[in-house]
Amino acid sequence: MLLEIFDPKARPRPVGIDLGTTNSLVAFVKNERPVAIEDCNGAALLPSVVAYAENGVVVGAGAKARAADHPRDTIVSAKRFMGRGADDAETRRMGPYEFVSPGAGDANVVKFRVGAGTRWERAVTPVEVSAEILRALVRLAEDELSSIGGAVITVPAYFDDAQRQATKDAGKLAGLEVLRLINEPTAAALAYGLEKRKNGTFAVYDLGGGTFDVTILMLEDGVFQVKSTGGDSALGGDDMDRAIAEEVFEQIGDGESAQSAARSTLGDAVARTPALIRVVLDAARAMKHALTESDHAEAQIPTKTGEKNVRIARDRFDALIAPLLERTGLACRRALKDAGLTKEQLDGVILVGGATRVPAVRAFVAKSFGREPLADIDPDQVVALGAAVQADLLAGDGPKDDVLLLDVLPLSLGIEVGGGVVDKILPRNTTIPAAARATYTTQEDKQTGFEIHVVQGEREMVGDNRSLARFTLRGIPPMAAGMAKLEVTFRVNADGMLDVDALETTTGVHQTVLVKPSYGLDDETVEKMLMDALDYGEDDLRLRRLAENRVEAHRLLTATGKAVANDAALLLPGERESIAVAMRALEEAASEEDPAKIHAGIEVLDAASKEFAGRRMNRAIARAIEGRRVDDVELAPNKDRPSSRSVDRSAEGTR
Amino acid sequence: MDPFATLGIERRFDLDLPAVEKRHRELSRALHPDKYADAGASERKATLSKAVEVNEAWRVVREPITRAEALFTLAGLTVGERNEPKPSGELLMAAMELRETLEEAKAKRDLKAIEKLAGEVDAKRRGAEEKLRAGFADGSAKRAKIEALVPVLGELRFHKRFLDEVSAIEDAIAEADVAAQD
Repeated sequence: MLLEIFDPKARPRPVGIDLGTTNSLVAFVKNERPVAIEDCNGAALLPSVVAYAENGVVVGAGAKARAADHPRDTIVSAKRFMGRGADDAETRRMGPYEFVSPGAGDANVVKFRVGAGTRWERAVTPVEVSAEILRALVRLAEDELSSIGGAVITVPAYFDDAQRQATKDAGKLAGLEVLRLINEPTAAALAYGLEKRKNGTFAVYDLGGGTFDVTILMLEDGVFQVKSTGGDSALGGDDMDRAIAEEVFEQIGDGESAQSAARSTLGDAVARTPALIRVVLDAARAMKHALTESDHAEAQIPTKTGEKNVRIARDRFDALIAPLLERTGLACRRALKDAGLTKEQLDGVILVGGATRVPAVRAFVAKSFGREPLADIDPDQVVALGAAVQADLLAGDGPKDDVLLLDVLPLSLGIEVGGGVVDKILPRNTTIPAAARATYTTQEDKQTGFEIHVVQGEREMVGDNRSLARFTLRGIPPMAAGMAKLEVTFRVNADGMLDVDALETTTGVHQTVLVKPSYGLDDETVEKMLMDALDYGEDDLRLRRLAENRVEAHRLLTATGKAVANDAALLLPGERESIAVAMRALEEAASEEDPAKIHAGIEVLDAASKEFAGRRMNRAIARAIEGRRVDDVELAPNKDRPSSRSVDRSAEGTR
Repeated sequence: MDPFATLGIERRFDLDLPAVEKRHRELSRALHPDKYADAGASERKATLSKAVEVNEAWRVVREPITRAEALFTLAGLTVGERNEPKPSGELLMAAMELRETLEEAKAKRDLKAIEKLAGEVDAKRRGAEEKLRAGFADGSAKRAKIEALVPVLGELRFHKRFLDEVSAIEDAIAEADVAAQD
């Protein structure tokens, strides 16, 4: 199995994965077009449901079928719990699950208890549940492709650092090489943009099972640039199901809903057994789907006193979901404002997510943006198709189009300063990769430690934002207050993931501190889960490393060969020869069986071509500045420049 | 870091931002990590740090306040709220009055009055920017002349903060309206 996945002779194909709240799917680029991979029944959507049982794990439709009878052992919508703390309000909000409370000193991670009271009772994290879904997608893809060469996984644009980290961990746990995490709306635009080759400014309205995002993107000269993004990571089609479910409970008279004032949530209801909640939610979802086509829907609900017939008209449904839609409208207005645009300046609105099939949603979007939204690509598939396009650009054999994604940081990053106030270090909507530094000093005489608390969010007070990490920089020599200089550096990579370090500069003592996430799992835990899950022996590990090193060697050889061929003029005398020697040595190492030797060969080639690479980079920069590609960069003073350009206005901060 | 040099543009306050944005895009196209996914470790590292520098330069240059800060720093002056001279009493008085009027309008949820106030402050903001534009137009300006501009930066900060607050109030009112329908 391992050998098959990493067979060096088969051409690995990169895939795009939409790891959704309700459904997940995998796609790849076939003959320059992205296609979704279907299972043997012709279904591309894999329900994101994982059922745990005594004899193993079931994923997808099979798991979904078990949900009604085994509500606590069947995890639905695990994405909503990704990167969340065990004590988050959202964690407790809904669902039939039994949670394991973290013990003192344990990481504050959500854990579902499955198989409670049985011999196989265990606790699983949302990361492990998601990894099961990814493994099922990998199996599906392997039936179609001989070997998988890395994956691009999509995340909601609004996901914070902890949620992104959890998604990446799930990929790692499933044994995938995660090439990149990309934002779902960006992926959707990529799918549309590539097929239509449009320039313009677009809004992507993405209402999925559990999350809502709106993103304003500009497509210009082949560069997809996110202008702003906003949304709500706890709002989606599931909430529509819940709204219908409340209505259903009212109709079957479960004795709770009637007392309207302090109506309890579904999760708290005593009379509502986990099994009944599941049945009602499934019926609600089916009714929601039916209401897309017809003006009313019905369902039969089995209760203790026999089957009860429930009915809901579309008008009633529309009224029930109107408040949810209004919440999306707020986020849309804010995103436009952040981008410095009015709705009239948009060239189109793209619909993403199964919930956008609901007619009331389409009508709401049309009304809010003053235009009919685009929905030519299946809203359930468009994200995975775009991810496949990006995967192909990153690691495929296809032509490397001049397409580029310039993504932004979705939420501001900052640290806690005196009085519980947040000092923003990187504002939201900063283009990534990004880095920023801030300098602080000691408050008290002889203070030898700094506590650093990293938060993410837009609010002024620490308590209103998401806490990402805390750490203490120690060992500062005692000085008078205000003398020490603490430099904190934030780095955000192209996946939108954060890395923080702190150092005290006056003493010359360089201390870099690794940040341990407040939520989620540390690397060690993920590594251990990976070992447990795959039950690796020493030999398996060596084979895996060998395969990975071969893939890396192959990539580096191809890239270096191309660089030497294309930029021969930049080679110094003798350089071509030394690079060629290193390439031959690496080729030879790759044909043998020793992973360490391949690794050494990679390092030698890297060193041999380092200066040549530096020259190529400098020339690329010079060309970009000369504007050899575009020759209209004018930086002349211009006092009465017309202010019709919205971009200009936003950049100047005009209201 | 000199963000103007990084982007290869003239060191001045008055910039054609759409053109600079285009420059940023071209540099990103040349340096983005996606373009170096297959490259060796040292090339990936070098291009990544350059890409970060380009993004940082664009972030600094696109906003008037950070752009002005960079110009002062490059002229050898230390700026930043803790280092700048205290704002004049006149400015403080005017700011207090504006804030009081804003609080009153907020309490009454009077969106028209809020908008009017924002318009006034925005006009002042434009005036401050105009002063910076003129002050930094001459590349060979004397240090004393540049130093005299530092208080304008303080004014700009006041205006920006006020306008941000207005924006937050407007959002809060819109949110409350939606919540009321819920």
